[in-house]
Amino acid sequence: MNETRKWIFHRISAVMVAPLFVWVYFTLILLSTKSYQEAIYFFEHSVFRILMTALFFIGFFHAKISLNEIFEDYIHNKKIKDVANILALILSITIPVITLILLI
Amino acid sequence: MKDNKNPISPHLQIYRWNISSLLSITHRIAGVVNLLALILMFLWLLTFSLGESNYELFLVVINSFAGKFILIGFSWSMSFHIFSGLRHLAWDMGYGFEIKTANISGVIVIISSLAMTTIFWLLGRGFI
Repeated sequence: MNETRKWIFHRISAVMVAPLFVWVYFTLILLSTKSYQEAIYFFEHSVFRILMTALFFIGFFHAKISLNEIFEDYIHNKKIKDVANILALILSITIPVITLILLI
Repeated sequence: MKDNKNPISPHLQIYRWNISSLLSITHRIAGVVNLLALILMFLWLLTFSLGESNYELFLVVINSFAGKFILIGFSWSMSFHIFSGLRHLAWDMGYGFEIKTANISGVIVIISSLAMTTIFWLLGRGFI
């Protein structure tokens, strides 16, 4: 991905993930006082599953681009930087995919 | 060239901090904290999927003093990153570069993030 495209995707994903983050925090704070039985209703609701999946895919995509920028600025050894970027890529794919599997 | 012991710029110990530089580094740190928060959300889903006893254990942890402290910190980090991100978006569109405007928008980011975190917790815990 070239730098201009990365910059545009970073801004678009930021705008998309911000309301999802607000929603998920509010839900977590709300559910933190509810029991498992009360929480089932939320977890099994299709809107909850769709928004959660979107949050994880867009959130980790946004995080991966941000981490690449941070590594670019602070890691000067090319080998370490490449390994860090690969780890960020693996993290940004595996967690959303596992989340999708958990929510299906 | 004479090898003197003058500090190499930017030298963080003598660097004069201003609100923009402070918010800039905090924006990055908050972004990394938000990534940790996403991992916490993942654990939330995972413990729910593993059954009632695991989920109840997760609730005990997040309702402990340390758990609440971390969760409030995460909510502030998220609020801060959102408001600071809006400030960056305004800059991307060419607005707010004047020093006075940048200082005022910086203060607005800090106050708004604290207000949003407070409102979140008051609403979420049913106090309002």
